[in-house]
Amino acid sequence: MTDDITPLISLREGEEGIIQLVSGGAGLIGRLASLGITSGVKVRIVRNIGGPLLVTTNGTRIAIGRGQAQKIGVRRLTAESKQAESA
Amino acid sequence: MTAEKKLLIALAGQPNVGKSTVFNILTGLSQHVGNWPGKTVEKKEGFYSSDGKGIRIVDLPGSYSLTAYSEEEKITRDFIINERPDAIILIANASSVERSLYILAEFLLLQVPVIFALNMMDVAEQQGIRIDAGLLEKYLGVPVVPMIASKNRGIKELIMRIFSLAEGREDYMPSMADVAEDHRDIFIELADILKMYVTPPYLTKWAITKIMEGDPDITEKMSQSVPADAWAKVQAILRQHEDSLHAVVRGRYDWIEGAVRSAISEFKRGQILLTDRLDNVLTRPVFGIPILLGILAFVFSLTYGLGLPLQGWLESLIKSFASIIEPRLGHSFWLRGIIIDGLIGGAGTVLTFLPVLFFFFAAMAFLEDVGYMARAAFVMDRFMHFIGLHGKSFLPFCLGFGCNVPAVMGARILESGRIRFLTIFLTPFVPCTAKLAVVTLIAAAIFGSKALVISWALIACNILVIGLIGMIASKLLFQQLHMPFIMELPVYHKPNVRTIGIVVWKRLTAFVRKAGTIIVLFSVLLWLLSHIPGGDIDNSILGLIGRSFEPFGAPIGLDWKMIVALLASVAARENSIAALGVLYGVGEEGIRDVLPNVMNHASALSFLVILMLFVPCVATLVVMKQEIGNWRWFLSSFLFMLLLSYASGVAAYQFALRIGL
Repeated sequence: MTDDITPLISLREGEEGIIQLVSGGAGLIGRLASLGITSGVKVRIVRNIGGPLLVTTNGTRIAIGRGQAQKIGVRRLTAESKQAESA
Repeated sequence: MTAEKKLLIALAGQPNVGKSTVFNILTGLSQHVGNWPGKTVEKKEGFYSSDGKGIRIVDLPGSYSLTAYSEEEKITRDFIINERPDAIILIANASSVERSLYILAEFLLLQVPVIFALNMMDVAEQQGIRIDAGLLEKYLGVPVVPMIASKNRGIKELIMRIFSLAEGREDYMPSMADVAEDHRDIFIELADILKMYVTPPYLTKWAITKIMEGDPDITEKMSQSVPADAWAKVQAILRQHEDSLHAVVRGRYDWIEGAVRSAISEFKRGQILLTDRLDNVLTRPVFGIPILLGILAFVFSLTYGLGLPLQGWLESLIKSFASIIEPRLGHSFWLRGIIIDGLIGGAGTVLTFLPVLFFFFAAMAFLEDVGYMARAAFVMDRFMHFIGLHGKSFLPFCLGFGCNVPAVMGARILESGRIRFLTIFLTPFVPCTAKLAVVTLIAAAIFGSKALVISWALIACNILVIGLIGMIASKLLFQQLHMPFIMELPVYHKPNVRTIGIVVWKRLTAFVRKAGTIIVLFSVLLWLLSHIPGGDIDNSILGLIGRSFEPFGAPIGLDWKMIVALLASVAARENSIAALGVLYGVGEEGIRDVLPNVMNHASALSFLVILMLFVPCVATLVVMKQEIGNWRWFLSSFLFMLLLSYASGVAAYQFALRIGL
């Protein structure tokens, strides 16, 4: 299990991660928070092939531009860390 | 009207929660649509009454939170703070309650009674989410009303709760979200310094929270009313605790988690929903883009397939109407001209466009309502980035193919002022139905068998030009590559006829009210200008104007009559055909036969290219000015179109001569 924080943009499709931090201006942070994108939240990447990212969290789908996705730091959930979490 | 004071209720909610459905059910046809004073955001109001008790309902713009970063959110919070409505109905999407709870936390800080309306309970149920409204009500301390607005369920209870809340018959004890625990001391510290300076209508807890969030509006206001030394202390505390915003957000999510734990259970997580399956295909560019193009092609063929026959039928109807009226107008040349050619001609133009626009807007509203347009915006985002825009501008552009007027107004969905301007700036270059009608007619008359190829080439060039201008304009004007793009993709759902109907109605009436009146007025004006003083166009004012422009005509291969036709197109695109008909004395029907004799291929090409890129019709110009709001930007955009179309005309003419077209 790793505790490295990587930008959301580096996750591949189908991968999951827990958001650790959102940097950027207060406007961006507030906007993302109101959509449920904030630290501690689990997100799954649906689409990440050029263009904006599509992530799901809590049953909603949010499109995030690549620039903004760069500013969201996540801890990647691997198979083992998922097991550890459910245990 | 009863002596009793009408209740003022505000309807609020995030986008995609069915807020307009609820508003439509409650207010029906008593709706009044206007603008928020000084803003380009729509303000909808309506009335509900039963048993002699009336409610005034104000529909607040859909917003995700109550920050000061978007116009919609600012309007919402200013309204609540300044108007203090008797209650707020906050509509939530039951299938994603967490998010609606976030905005609820913000509303509660404003200390106006809130009713939490849990809409789309059926959708939540399908997704395996079960919400116990009673338990949620206990946790939140505010009335919770489960609803399925699309099936008219829960509305009665909602109204009941509004009255009982407003009449003080509810135990209203809201639980509030605090800032995260590790920042409570800082909150208290700030409150100690600031509380004596927070004056009504602002509330202490709200103001302090906003200061911790770094809200620019409140920070600015407080910095002016708080003495310098106290303000310096506040600044020092905030600098030391740069993560205050995060603490506020965390506090809210802790509170939300409590609500979710107490009242919500999910029993089928991980089930593949219809939305996931569709999105798997539609958001993948390889499939998504061809499907989008296919859908658009279908929409256009449907629109024209159904709309054109009706259009022809309406045209003949108007002609027979005119022929019935004509004998009754007596012998006055002027009266007949003004009424038949001006008024009826202009009104007829407006009327004949309605069928095509109706089918087009209905198809677009259908795609929006089922949730598809958000996917279209998603797959188009990468292309829109090239021209300095993002996916959300795609919808206004699409509407532009119908009519530029609602398209320019549709640019309101864009939050950022710069993107909104650029979208409005580019929209007039999108060929609308009227422009396409003129192009196909002239191309068919002059190019015969090659007409179809020429028309398509013109449209393709037009779209290419939009791309080029967008690229250059965004580089020159904005110099910022990444425009923030954050958008929710709503769950797909069954179309709601009522919602679609209201959207279509709004866009059509926008066309009739804005474009219609101006087109009629300009038709009359155009007729007068082309007949005063002598009654014939050669020596008329318009003729004079056309001749004075003649020197400009040589490089683009146009004589003064064609220049007049171009000028006439500013009243409405199709007026250029009518003008040519009058100028060559053959009427609108004869123009097809006359055109090949008076226009060679090169001139015709230049004429069409200019027409595609020319200054848009007056109706569009009026709406552009209104939406841009700034004369300087508006006039630069106007001049740009004028110069661009002229330069392109020169290029097209020279090119055509060179290749011997």
